[in-house]
Amino acid sequence: MGIIRGEEMVLNIGPQHPATHGVLRLQVRTDGEIVSSITPYIGYLHRCFEKHCESVTYEQVIPFTDRCDYLASMTMNFGYVVAMEEMLEIKVNDRVQHIRVVMAELQRIASHLLGLGAFGLDIGAFTPFLHMLRDRERILDLFEMTCGARLLYNYMWIGGLSHDLPVGFVESTYKFLDYFEPKIDEFVNLLVHNKIFVERTADIGVMPQDVAISYGVTGPNLRASGLKWDLRRDDPYSIYNKFEFEVPVGEGGKGSVGDCWDRFYVRVLEMKESIKIVRQALASMPKDGDVHQSLPKKIKPPIGSIYKRTESPRGDLGYYIESDGSNIPYRLKMRSPAFTALSVIDEIAAGWLLSDVLAILGSLDIVLGEIDR
Amino acid sequence: MIKYFTDIWTSITTILGGMGITFIHLIRARQDNVTLQYPEERWPRPERNIGFDHDNYNVIRTRLHVDMDDCIGCLKCERACPVDCIKIVTEKAPERGSDIKEIKHVGVTTNGTRKAMVVTRFDIDMSECCYCNLCTYPCPEECIFMTGGPNSSRHPLDYEFSEPDRDNLIYKFAKSGTKEGLDKYIGEKSAES
Repeated sequence: MGIIRGEEMVLNIGPQHPATHGVLRLQVRTDGEIVSSITPYIGYLHRCFEKHCESVTYEQVIPFTDRCDYLASMTMNFGYVVAMEEMLEIKVNDRVQHIRVVMAELQRIASHLLGLGAFGLDIGAFTPFLHMLRDRERILDLFEMTCGARLLYNYMWIGGLSHDLPVGFVESTYKFLDYFEPKIDEFVNLLVHNKIFVERTADIGVMPQDVAISYGVTGPNLRASGLKWDLRRDDPYSIYNKFEFEVPVGEGGKGSVGDCWDRFYVRVLEMKESIKIVRQALASMPKDGDVHQSLPKKIKPPIGSIYKRTESPRGDLGYYIESDGSNIPYRLKMRSPAFTALSVIDEIAAGWLLSDVLAILGSLDIVLGEIDR
Repeated sequence: MIKYFTDIWTSITTILGGMGITFIHLIRARQDNVTLQYPEERWPRPERNIGFDHDNYNVIRTRLHVDMDDCIGCLKCERACPVDCIKIVTEKAPERGSDIKEIKHVGVTTNGTRKAMVVTRFDIDMSECCYCNLCTYPCPEECIFMTGGPNSSRHPLDYEFSEPDRDNLIYKFAKSGTKEGLDKYIGEKSAES
């Protein structure tokens, strides 16, 4: 007896649904419990980022980049200022570079913490989520100590930083890292090897490497499929070529390469690598150096365009900036990593159960603010 | 067959391992507790000193405040604002750097700059403000700042400024009636001469 095919049903998940990580609507065609196709509908959080940037000056774009990926604002700032500095041919001093790397890597840890916690929450594990948020709070405290904001920082400026590090920041960060490193192992014991969790994620939603590449998926999702591609290592910006770190890739520890569990575990490993980078950057940070030293008086880039990509926690974040010689951008386009990660969902999640679709969506770690922009 | 039993074994051990961790946290609940009973307890103000010595300087971003006696009406903050939540209207002062007692206008700032403008309107819509702090940097007199900083003894931490009415979030820093007072003052002056 074959599978009895019933009538297909169209089901809308979202826009207001806790599992969609924001205001995302997934139109799912289901046959019983089995999902035959998924169409994501986006645009509920569209705030005209790119069009808005055409009416504000180059400095004023930075608060808007914060609000694209509101869980990783530092790295969003980072990508923009790196692009602008290359356009204006500004060289910032070593201290600024080191502080930026420290901030970006702390932000990567914070973003992965929330991503992993929310993924566990999707699966039904509530305790790890609270543990993750507790540790993330400490990182936000460090950011608040530095720049006064906990979520939307506007910390990195074109040619410098808004503030120097406060007295005691380095000690607090070391303290946090010492506290946090054992917590990762605890988290691994709590959730990663948990049999229920493994059953829900291993071999589910396998993303083969060629599918990931052809859809343009980047970041941890691509690395989970087995490709060692990290812009920090392969196309180093800022001073990432100074640091030694591994690029973790998915090895199919519990199932096959590129399944939900791999995407999850790659992020856990990446947090460890980020800790390494933060330690190295703190150790080699020069004591003196004015963070306002190379701030330009007027920001008027020459006529031309630039495309610069950086590695955000979600993947390859690119800024395309076109200048017409005035102090406002003529065109600003952001290449969003979460957008491409969402576009692959129909390919990898069709044919799975409805409950697995939410696990796959959670494992992609999307942020709707960045998808809609 | 072996797989069946190893599956059962891993299920039991991993679940017990996870529950062990939660149990340890249960025992150490008092020492690991991070929850604050919010209205009774407050999050402590982060202590920091980043080396700027004037007492208005701070990095905490709570709400904007303007010392109107120091404002020279240069409009730099208005131009820096990415969301245009600062609205300033200025009038030319009849005499540069002199006080006008009728409208409580102070002619010279604490930095010693002689004012050429009288600010008749200085509105900040805090419901629009995006707390980017961009307006505080270009100010030449350092008169616009975010309150509640580490070094500001005179501005205690205030992050609770919800209002029942949205209009109350529009902070009007220029005293009401400044425009009329100034017009009257100029009228009297010209009548005298």
